[in-house]
Amino acid sequence: MTALALGLGLALLLISLGLLDGGHEQTIADGVRFGPGHVVIEAKGYQDSSSDELLLPAQVVSKVEGFLSTGKIKQVVRGVSPRLLATGLLSSSASSAGVRIVGVIPEDERAVSLIPQRMVEGTYLKSDDKLSGVVIGDELARKLELKIGSKAVLMTQSLRPPGTVTTEAGDEMQSTLLRVSGIFRTGLQAIDANMIYLPLSAAQALLGVTGGQVTQVTLLLVQEGDSTQVAKVLREQLTGAPVEVLTWRESLPMLAQILGLDHAFNYIMNGVILAMVGLGILNTILMRVLERRYEFGVSKALGLKPGQLAVMVVGESLALTAISLALGLGLGLSVQHYFATAGLDLRWVFKTGLPPALVFDPILYSRLSVDRIVWSVSIVFAMATIISFYPAFKAARTELPDALKVL
Amino acid sequence: MNEWAVKLSDVRKTYRTGPIEVPALRGVTLSIGAGEFAATAGPSGSGKTSLLNIIGGLDRADSGEIWVAGQNLQSLSSSELAHLRLQRIGFVFQTYNLLPVLTALENAEFTLLLQGMPARKRREKVEKLFSEIGLGGLEDRRPAELSGGQQQRVAVARAMVTEPALILADEPTANLDSASAVALLDVMEQLNRKTGTTFLFSTHDPQVMERAHRLIRLRDGQVVTDDTRSGKAGLGEGDRRVGQDSHLSPQTERPSVHEAQLFAQAK
Repeated sequence: MTALALGLGLALLLISLGLLDGGHEQTIADGVRFGPGHVVIEAKGYQDSSSDELLLPAQVVSKVEGFLSTGKIKQVVRGVSPRLLATGLLSSSASSAGVRIVGVIPEDERAVSLIPQRMVEGTYLKSDDKLSGVVIGDELARKLELKIGSKAVLMTQSLRPPGTVTTEAGDEMQSTLLRVSGIFRTGLQAIDANMIYLPLSAAQALLGVTGGQVTQVTLLLVQEGDSTQVAKVLREQLTGAPVEVLTWRESLPMLAQILGLDHAFNYIMNGVILAMVGLGILNTILMRVLERRYEFGVSKALGLKPGQLAVMVVGESLALTAISLALGLGLGLSVQHYFATAGLDLRWVFKTGLPPALVFDPILYSRLSVDRIVWSVSIVFAMATIISFYPAFKAARTELPDALKVL
Repeated sequence: MNEWAVKLSDVRKTYRTGPIEVPALRGVTLSIGAGEFAATAGPSGSGKTSLLNIIGGLDRADSGEIWVAGQNLQSLSSSELAHLRLQRIGFVFQTYNLLPVLTALENAEFTLLLQGMPARKRREKVEKLFSEIGLGGLEDRRPAELSGGQQQRVAVARAMVTEPALILADEPTANLDSASAVALLDVMEQLNRKTGTTFLFSTHDPQVMERAHRLIRLRDGQVVTDDTRSGKAGLGEGDRRVGQDSHLSPQTERPSVHEAQLFAQAK
């Protein structure tokens, strides 16, 4: 029973950590691929003000793209995509809705964003699309009663980058006729009901942006762990330019905070699981020591030293722990493997849809690194070892001659 | 004389349970010579078992001096007492106190295991002793599969196998039928003669009292008589002490099996 309890404890820990890490990894991956990437370069002040009029100069974009396409950094960057962002009003014959306009270069965006992979109708944008092509979310399509091929009018105000001279057209509302070429579904209401994607050149023309200016350049990296280092290198490269280079933790502070909080909460939960398992083990070993009082008494009477008796109890506990850990590893890794391949479908939890602020794929895939396994096994082993000290101490203190009495 | 296995001086022990105090030993002074086959007798509560427990280092006296195999038990730590028990003292308990999960052979070799003897040598030694005391063929049986007499003989084998200087036997025949008791006493007496190991019994059993070469009677925690049977004693009659002490320096006089054997042969 002790072995089972300890093994189960480790298995629970591994499963829990696997789902936690998998969930976090997935959330980050989804968050950055639906949002600003692992690293984003924006005009200085854009992060705080969210002013669409703050644009990156075209030469900065060229410099970044040039730098990222050469040398070692090329190997850690999976994709680079410039985007132009603005707000507008999309109207159909049925209704109108406020939308977030994202102008993209389709080929670049495919390497960075998940949207092209979430198309449910039609196709994603192509570079040779006519200017009128637009991709929208299924929520928006439903609200505006739009289908593939439907026409919609996008109305927006021309952007006026600071320092630019206002032209006659600069302050005017601009509109264009768009044709729905694709509909996507991410499961995230904030995206599906609000975001529309159109070719960068079309967006620039609509918004009156000239000279190849964009709002941001997003980078998707091969490994999330390189974010800080890549951002640092880019900051050094862009020293003096009116830009800011942000990692996803800085550009998505809410997501970083939620994940941090979730980490802390899960550590507490794991601590509770471990404490419960630990108390169970302590109780079992103590009971075993009490049951074996006679055996220990006889052994002591025959010459076993108290220290030897303590070492014996600790040794037996460690042997038991080793067996338990093998059981726990077997069970835990099996379940973890299942969740890593088949995933844990949580859609039944969110029957009414995911919260708008949550960037989360409802099918959770477990991810467990070797470090995590070593850490978990070490923690449980250390806990079991420490826990065995008290029963060992009790065993060493077996009172003679009372313990020799046959009950 | 300088061959003492046990030497007690004004040993006192009182058991306390809350406010209730039960004096078990009230100033026992006693010496047991190396190679003796002695018994303590007395009614229940006279202090026999307490005396054996204290001599065996299983319990501590409140005051007095206890010298066993040349060592003052009162000055030894728990670990040192355990070491002394392992190397110099053998125990035979009334209830056998065999470990039920071990076989007869494993029980008997347990002390050798604690001494660190290699497995093969342990087995050879125990098997030889088993054949000598009539346990041959029972090596692989567990205690539950043995009769009371056989279990007690396994306990004797366990006590003897390390060739201790002293064997303490607390009511060893109490749970045996008469024939088994006689057989057990034969074994122990034979071992005493052969190896010179000192035996000290506590007993109610007239057979044990009859076979003992020296009978020390206790009452209310005090020695009341100390009789050596002529022609049976391992030591001269003049060496018995009741309530008085010899002029020993126990630190320099550690009886050994070898010395005891020599002494026994000289007799």
